[in-house]
Amino acid sequence: MPDDRISTRRRFVESLCGGFGSVGLAAMLRDQLPANTADRPVGPHFAPKAKHVIFLFMTGGPSHMDLFDPKPALKTYAGQRPESVDLRTERMTGGLLPSPFEFHRHGQSGIEVSELLPNLGGIVDDLCVIRSMYTFNPTHTPARNLIHSGNIAATRPSMGAWISYGLGTENRNLPGFVVLSPGARGGDLWRAGFLPAEHQGTHFDNAESDPEKMIRYLRNDKLDARAQRRQLDLMQALNRDHLDRTGGDAYLDARIRAMETAYRMQFEALDVFDVRNEPASVRDEYGETPFAKGCLLARRLVEEGVRYVHLYYGPGQPWDDHKTINKNLRERCPDMDRGSAALIRDLKRRGLLDETLVVWGGEFGRTPVSEAGDGRDHNPYGFTMWLAGGGVRGGLVHGATDDFGFQAVENRVSIHDLHATVLNQLGFDHERLTYRYAGRDFRLTDIHGTVLRELLA
Amino acid sequence: MRAVALLLGAAGLVTAQSSDIEFFERRIRPILVEQCEVCHSSRLAEPMGGLRVDSREGLLAGGASGPAIVPGSPDRSLLVKALRYSDPVLKMPPSGKLHDRAVEDFMVWIAAGATDPRTGPAQDVSGAAEEGSGPGTPIDEGRRWWAFQPLAERLSADVSDPDWTIRKSDTFVLAKLEQHGLRPSAEADRRTLVRRAHLDLTGLPPRYDEIEGFAADSSPNAYSDLIDRLLRSPRYGERWGRYWLDVARWAEDHPTSEATNRPFAHAWRYRDWVVEAFNKDIPYDRFVRMQFAADLLPGFEPSDMRALGYLGNAPVYHKDRRLSREVIETIASDDWDERVDAVSRGLLGLTVACARCHDHKFDPITAEDYHGLAGVFASVWPVGRPMVAMDAKEAQRLTWEHERLYRIKGVYGNLKDLDTVAEELHAEIIAMKPEYEALEKELAKYDVPMTPAVIDCGVWVDGSTPTVTRMDLRPGEPRDLPVFIRGNVANPGRTVPRRFLAVFEQGEPQAFVHGSGRLELAKKIVGEAGPLAARVWVNRVWGWHFGKHLVRTPSDFGTQGQKPTHPDLLEDLAARFVANGWSLKWLHREIMLSAAYRQSSRLVEEFSKTDPTNRWIWRMQPRRLDVEAWRDSILQASGELNLAMGGPSSAVDSVDPARRSVYSTISRGRLHPVLQLYDFPVATQHTPQRQVTTTPLQQLFVLNSGWIQERGRGLSKAVDGIANRSERVVALYRRTLARDPTDRESELALEYLDARRAEVGREPWEEYAHSLLATNELSFLN
Repeated sequence: MPDDRISTRRRFVESLCGGFGSVGLAAMLRDQLPANTADRPVGPHFAPKAKHVIFLFMTGGPSHMDLFDPKPALKTYAGQRPESVDLRTERMTGGLLPSPFEFHRHGQSGIEVSELLPNLGGIVDDLCVIRSMYTFNPTHTPARNLIHSGNIAATRPSMGAWISYGLGTENRNLPGFVVLSPGARGGDLWRAGFLPAEHQGTHFDNAESDPEKMIRYLRNDKLDARAQRRQLDLMQALNRDHLDRTGGDAYLDARIRAMETAYRMQFEALDVFDVRNEPASVRDEYGETPFAKGCLLARRLVEEGVRYVHLYYGPGQPWDDHKTINKNLRERCPDMDRGSAALIRDLKRRGLLDETLVVWGGEFGRTPVSEAGDGRDHNPYGFTMWLAGGGVRGGLVHGATDDFGFQAVENRVSIHDLHATVLNQLGFDHERLTYRYAGRDFRLTDIHGTVLRELLA
Repeated sequence: MRAVALLLGAAGLVTAQSSDIEFFERRIRPILVEQCEVCHSSRLAEPMGGLRVDSREGLLAGGASGPAIVPGSPDRSLLVKALRYSDPVLKMPPSGKLHDRAVEDFMVWIAAGATDPRTGPAQDVSGAAEEGSGPGTPIDEGRRWWAFQPLAERLSADVSDPDWTIRKSDTFVLAKLEQHGLRPSAEADRRTLVRRAHLDLTGLPPRYDEIEGFAADSSPNAYSDLIDRLLRSPRYGERWGRYWLDVARWAEDHPTSEATNRPFAHAWRYRDWVVEAFNKDIPYDRFVRMQFAADLLPGFEPSDMRALGYLGNAPVYHKDRRLSREVIETIASDDWDERVDAVSRGLLGLTVACARCHDHKFDPITAEDYHGLAGVFASVWPVGRPMVAMDAKEAQRLTWEHERLYRIKGVYGNLKDLDTVAEELHAEIIAMKPEYEALEKELAKYDVPMTPAVIDCGVWVDGSTPTVTRMDLRPGEPRDLPVFIRGNVANPGRTVPRRFLAVFEQGEPQAFVHGSGRLELAKKIVGEAGPLAARVWVNRVWGWHFGKHLVRTPSDFGTQGQKPTHPDLLEDLAARFVANGWSLKWLHREIMLSAAYRQSSRLVEEFSKTDPTNRWIWRMQPRRLDVEAWRDSILQASGELNLAMGGPSSAVDSVDPARRSVYSTISRGRLHPVLQLYDFPVATQHTPQRQVTTTPLQQLFVLNSGWIQERGRGLSKAVDGIANRSERVVALYRRTLARDPTDRESELALEYLDARRAEVGREPWEEYAHSLLATNELSFLN
């Protein structure tokens, strides 16, 4: 039924747009001249491996010891508190807390993955699992700022903004940097900072299925398409007369075109943003939760030329398991596992995985010692993230934490190293992707960062 | 390759070269500090293995296993052996092997002689700032930079067509035009001019009768009378005060607004003071001094306390007391850094914050300068203070009681989840709740309006309790900061007295001695640095009038910024601005009466080819209205605009009442989507100027939002008493665009209404009114 509604509406719009709609969305939108005052993008420094990034962000800090980093020693020393785990975290912690979840080897690579994640286990040969991440701050907000922008203060541009600034968008009628998050909490995380405002992330609420609810002001609830076209024709006739009288002006011209684009977006976005247009088999593979729909939407957006999609798992800080962690993980993992794995498989089937870098992780990990008996505190010293596609080696484990999973000890990877590597895959030397502001050149990696060459295919 | 150069250059040198020191500071010291000193420092009673890496002597002497380094011989240096992780036992740091590049850096450094500027224990050295290569420009040489020169009026420029010039500034503009083979545009027509003047000075377009009255006024003084009238309007302060609020990065909450940094109460009081200050034309130098130290100035009125909101409303970051002293001190130093940045870029066009981690690479500003300024901000604390006349002791008491309430409530909110804090603190935390509740009740009895301000009070961070970190506030005791080497609070160098930037001082900079030094700082900004402050302010004002600045980097007048397009114009105007008592209203008149300002904005094909960005001002620069002026124009047209001034803010899309945009709620963490859509700056830090974008998402708002449809309805209602359709169209045009429709426009209107009547059986005037509000013309300033 929804499909019928859309196609009927679409044909109707085509008749109004004088044939615009007969051309595919992407083609039509790409042909449009830029409707803003954007400077030309910087462009890559060398041949890129990837053209798009999808960041699956696990807000709150997921537990690596329960998901990707098996630590049998936790069982041996359960409840004890050896000196080497006496690191200060935010809250008071108790003895070592073993994971109740079994780990199994998967794929040709034989990488161990928790029983909570059977689907990700199934595609583990496509994953590059970094078990030696560390960050510099044990509190959510600063650590989240760091992983988003390379600095703990809430002022620097988000990685998506840097990438939009560096590469521009392939599709002028969709933002280059899209944020999918159920609810709009944390708007400053997708800021453009000192970069031009157009590179700011544009937020859509993936808890909604209906594009009209996802995109602010997308729908005119007073006028149908024909009436709206008539009203717009009137506005544009007045605007064109005014433009003639003023003798030409870039802003006036841009606004006339932006208005036309906005009008078409109302209908075209209904297509792109509506995952209900996908075949049932595809939707089934992803699942029906907001996160699953977000994964599917991320794929559709990347297909349409969006550079960077940042998908937040849930509103608030769902992975912040200070209490009852085992129960929480059992509830949360099936959905995350199914959606993330479906995304990788789907991208691969469509030949998009090679040019799309998928990043998974949170702002930090969790402690091997317990908090409040059955929870785990924040752990900035060591945690796991994984990468897939975009020219990164699959079936690889990089680095290691200590015997308990507290500290990254082998091949330690900082957030800046991760950023440098993401930029590298997009064709940027992270030391040269800079923006002159307040008297100096700023970059995403500040004065740090080393590309993780050993991870690259 | 730096390393190679270093190896070659170091041979046979007796004294260290700056590049060696820089190599040490960039590559070696950070690793020693971050990775090694935790266990191997002279600050520890018993450093592990007896090794102290925080001085050159310590490394040479080594520990239990022998010397850590042998300069010139990486292979014989135990430190290298440990870092390489090749030895079965000796592996450092224990948390994991460093990057290969870092290990190589150590080898290169030792091979080149292990240059190390640290001579004693770490506490006694000040690092690169003092002993390194110095700032990008030495101070003496730096004083010669154009922006630091005394101001002097200039002789009018020689021009071939003096008839065109009206004010002295025109001679400078015309001289540049002639030099570049350009000519000024003709004066704009009367209707354009009056609309420009109204929008520019008040942020509201003139009404139809005001335009027609001006167009018909043939008196030679009509235009200057108009400017005077507008400068007297209270709407003026609402417009120009808002510009200042951008510079002052004013907002009503904090970037995150968590337990320990909850939103300000009454932040709007500073906004109201700014609006009033502009309307009163408080001289700019006094305007600046008041914002640092109104309470310490002669002629202080209790309501002036609101001026301190410039510092009192500054963004503060959350300080979770469970974090270590180092982390909290870092967050506090980020707060101070924000003040240094906002003050130096906003008022002086200098990027002093660049000198936080090392001397400025390009401008004559040292890390000591930075910490001398930052010390002032480490010596004030944000508090609410009474803004009515009362006994000084009682005012103090009330201030600190309010502060105590804010702090206890914040710490309680931060730590109330007792599972997360050490048991020995539980009793203390539990006791906080009744304490702050009682305090809240007690303070509610006072009917004293409080306003966000600052008070002199040194700020330290107390890490003496291992399980909780406390803020150690010492009222009346200022804090001089050490140079935090590389910006790292864990690596303090020599202490710097609170003081001003050396480049502005004759001889040695004098330490501030009165309280925090905030009054002394303000006096220096508009005193010793006054010529620069005046240039920066005049340039901003010029930019808001013309849409383009004379110095295109309005918050960077240093060597990395742009030089003025019209140096003589900026010098002369700034000099006369100061000579005329720093009067902003004088400056407006001077600018707006000029022939340059009165030019038509029409594009001249020929000139747009040679000077496409209108650098030489051959026309007025047309532009989009900012979101405030655009929104207010719409509300004025629909007849809903409520001109009540001041008081608490309301959401920008609120229409109950529909007050001017300057009274909109401004949040740092959650800026209203409509403001975001229209390029409103995020006030977490100073923004030099607004960006202007024109996007499809903005047009979705224009086409579809309930807000704008409601304004269309309001507008159509305002004219629905007019029976004749053509007359009603005329009335709508007069209200929205302040002019009569052309014949074609009238026809389009009637055609539209006829067509819609055929479709829906009535004439939807509200849709038509909405169309007029959506036009380019309404959003355009020419």
